[in-house]
Amino acid sequence: MAPADVSGDLLNAIIGAAPGSALAALREQRPEILRHSQGSYDVLLTPADPGGLTLAERALVARRVAELSGHAALTAHYQTLVATRGQPPAGARRDAILAHAERLATAPGTATKAHLAALDAVGLSARDIVALAQLVAFVAYQVRAAVGLSLLAREKVA
Amino acid sequence: MSPPKFTLEAVEWDAWLAPVTTETATDKQRAALEASPQANSPYFRTLAHDVDSLAERSPLFHSVMYVPRGLKRAERELATVVVSIINGCVYCSSVHARRFVELTKQPEVIRALYDEGLDTPLPPRLRAIVDYAAKLTREPAAMTIADLKPLRDVGMDDLEILDLTNAAAMFANANRLMQTLGEPIPPEVQA
Repeated sequence: MAPADVSGDLLNAIIGAAPGSALAALREQRPEILRHSQGSYDVLLTPADPGGLTLAERALVARRVAELSGHAALTAHYQTLVATRGQPPAGARRDAILAHAERLATAPGTATKAHLAALDAVGLSARDIVALAQLVAFVAYQVRAAVGLSLLAREKVA
Repeated sequence: MSPPKFTLEAVEWDAWLAPVTTETATDKQRAALEASPQANSPYFRTLAHDVDSLAERSPLFHSVMYVPRGLKRAERELATVVVSIINGCVYCSSVHARRFVELTKQPEVIRALYDEGLDTPLPPRLRAIVDYAAKLTREPAAMTIADLKPLRDVGMDDLEILDLTNAAAMFANANRLMQTLGEPIPPEVQA
């Protein structure tokens, strides 16, 4: 079943919270969290000015992080974005970006200054490096927020 | 790599990228920095390189940690300490452990978590918070509605569980930024 588009809020769509549902109403008690979760998604995945981290690279990174976190619905969502935007060209740049994203997603404590130099070496600016970290960190947040909300939803129908 | 040394003392943080400076900041960066918790910290000045994500993240973080009602502030802080211990974020755990202690006057809870690990004996409500935050951090995909039962058993309502979820999720985010854009300077080597 494809998740319904729920007034443009991705997390509501992912957890299947229809307008007027108990879960949508619960989330509305935290309006700033709703607004800026969606706002973070918008500026990280579809920024007006993506700088040197392309829209295709952003989609690919988000999909990889969702996949490594084991979240099927978010992985499928980002896979759709990858399919729409196309794969970034294969090569050292894509490999370096994905390797860094995987490290941040699964073992952030192992990151060193040398890993940022490796990104610089494939053409990422300071802004691009920060955007990449924000993107991985955002999907790590988004996965866990979605999991907690889904538990509350499933508990209600159990 | 040596194991992280968690502390209740203040820890500094050193940026790996040259942070944005007051002189070089654009008007937009300046505005985003002023809306962040500490405009002059090297951490927020690093995040200011990508100004639009910083401008969204600061109000998100603020609401997750401080919005009134729901889960008590100290309990949100506890969840963030648990996440930071698991991820090994010495800086984050120091800041938020001290906030927990300020609010509760219970440094012994933090010391037990630091010294004995997350399985240390705790009162039932704290135990339930620690276990939920730990599993959401380590294996989010393995969670089931059975993981809500200990929270319900200690009387948590939906809003409290939502707040707990958001606090733990926010530190999946905060730790990754702190740990991968710079490093902590432990108290013993600070000038």
